[in-house]
Amino acid sequence: MNLFALTKTQEAGGQIALAAALAVAGFFLLLPRPRGRVVSLGIASLIAAAAVFGAWVYNTFGQPLPDVVGSVLFWMFSAGALVFGAVLVAQKNPARGAIAFAFVILSTCGLFLLLAAPFLMAATIIIYAGAIIVTFLFVLMLSQAAGPSAENDRSREPLYGSFAGFAFVGLVLFTLYQTSLASAPAEPGEVATAGRLPAPVLTAEERKKLADAVAKLDGAAAQLDEFPASRAERNKRIEYFEAIKSEIVSVVGPPAREQAGQIGYGTLPERLEKPAAKAGQPAELYREDAQARAALDRAASVRNANFTTAELEKALNPDDPPKPAPPAKPNPDAVKEQARVLRNEVVLLYGMGELPANNVRNLGLVLYSEHLLAIELAGTLLLVAVIGAIAIAHRKREVPGEPSAGSQVQRGVAK
Amino acid sequence: MTITLWHFLAVAAALFGIGLVGFLTRRNLITMFLCAEMMLQGVAINFVAFARYHGNLQGQIFVLFILAVAACEAGVALALFLSLYRRRRSLDASDWQELRELGVPPAVDEEPLEVVKEEPLPTLTPAGARPIATPAPEEAARV
Repeated sequence: MNLFALTKTQEAGGQIALAAALAVAGFFLLLPRPRGRVVSLGIASLIAAAAVFGAWVYNTFGQPLPDVVGSVLFWMFSAGALVFGAVLVAQKNPARGAIAFAFVILSTCGLFLLLAAPFLMAATIIIYAGAIIVTFLFVLMLSQAAGPSAENDRSREPLYGSFAGFAFVGLVLFTLYQTSLASAPAEPGEVATAGRLPAPVLTAEERKKLADAVAKLDGAAAQLDEFPASRAERNKRIEYFEAIKSEIVSVVGPPAREQAGQIGYGTLPERLEKPAAKAGQPAELYREDAQARAALDRAASVRNANFTTAELEKALNPDDPPKPAPPAKPNPDAVKEQARVLRNEVVLLYGMGELPANNVRNLGLVLYSEHLLAIELAGTLLLVAVIGAIAIAHRKREVPGEPSAGSQVQRGVAK
Repeated sequence: MTITLWHFLAVAAALFGIGLVGFLTRRNLITMFLCAEMMLQGVAINFVAFARYHGNLQGQIFVLFILAVAACEAGVALALFLSLYRRRRSLDASDWQELRELGVPPAVDEEPLEVVKEEPLPTLTPAGARPIATPAPEEAARV
């Protein structure tokens, strides 16, 4: 029996603890103090901590082999963020710290770009690197002290502080590990799909068809405006709606597929669902991610709306034209309304998985439709912050006879 | 297998932790503030990664609001630092430790700061008549 055999959880916990301990030692040695600061040892221990951490992430969460460019960029940006973050914490000179913080921001923005958030990348660079850093550098220039000073060359409890921080990180990482274990594949050979960042659900061809259907649905109201007089006109309208219907069907499947019992039902479910689906149960998917599920749900509601629209439109066109007056019930307004509903459903399906391409447009849509109140509150907050900043930083006029700010300054200097 | 959600979460946690260490240990107000901003960046990475994972935009929207709040925070913090600096001529957070709780002993810096020897300024041998010195009016320190 091997006395040193560890369970996988113990091994992971040990590695995390080792990385955290090395990081504590490194920051303890690096944090500025009058005595006992060993830069070379601290850097070496930090590098060791980073190596242990990187190896642990690499071994636990999978070796990213196929997507070489993406993984190289990921490791580069995350290493940049962590290294420059360490420089910011351990650097004596706050101006250099601010520059290191700018590099942290740039690296995080690279990670944002990898996560398909180009608008956030641009906004973060402009606001942080462009505005916050520059204003802080102004304040630093105003208050730069020559020579060693208490605020730059001393730290508050370097050992306890770094221990608290890295104990926290270690616990978070351990929790992450346990969560990832819970969703890991049971069989060793299986491919882990939990946590995979999704690729777009719709193919380019499907998107083209859906866009076409949306354009036609936009014109549907004009078609419904007047009752067609002749048989030929009526046939044209029926064809128009049939074209819309078949285009949507070719993507999401026929409206009543349970009744038809067909196999070939729409490219989207065919691509996503495994064929052997039991009746009454949700089908197994080839890729189990939230996005694919959401796309299938959306496709189902598109299918229902398509079915309803087709029914209503059929009721609008009685097959026997000689009947002089069509029954009053099928009014075109209901069809129009239903066509609008169908159009919105199709647009939502079309928007699935287009986070990278139309990020700004979709962000604006969500921001101004769902979060309008929050936007207004954020604007108010900015206004209040501007007024508050001016009120705080305003130099008060000295009143003779009262202890003024100037005399306090001089007392502070004298102390 | 490509880069997963877990990778991003791990990096974000590490970034948050480094910021936390800096916030707890550093004494320069501006460095402390930058460390707090770094913690916010770690949180932002989490939000964006989850937005990507779920295939919606709610996380990114949240990060936009974080940006707005961070900008407000920067403005107000800067104004506070300026007024604190005017009172004590220093950005040291420990200068304000008389605001601590009752009964907590004050933190004392035991080790003296190392003294950097300054090069004496070059002096010229005086020549000619000595000018009559008029005392300049003392100027109040300004920021």
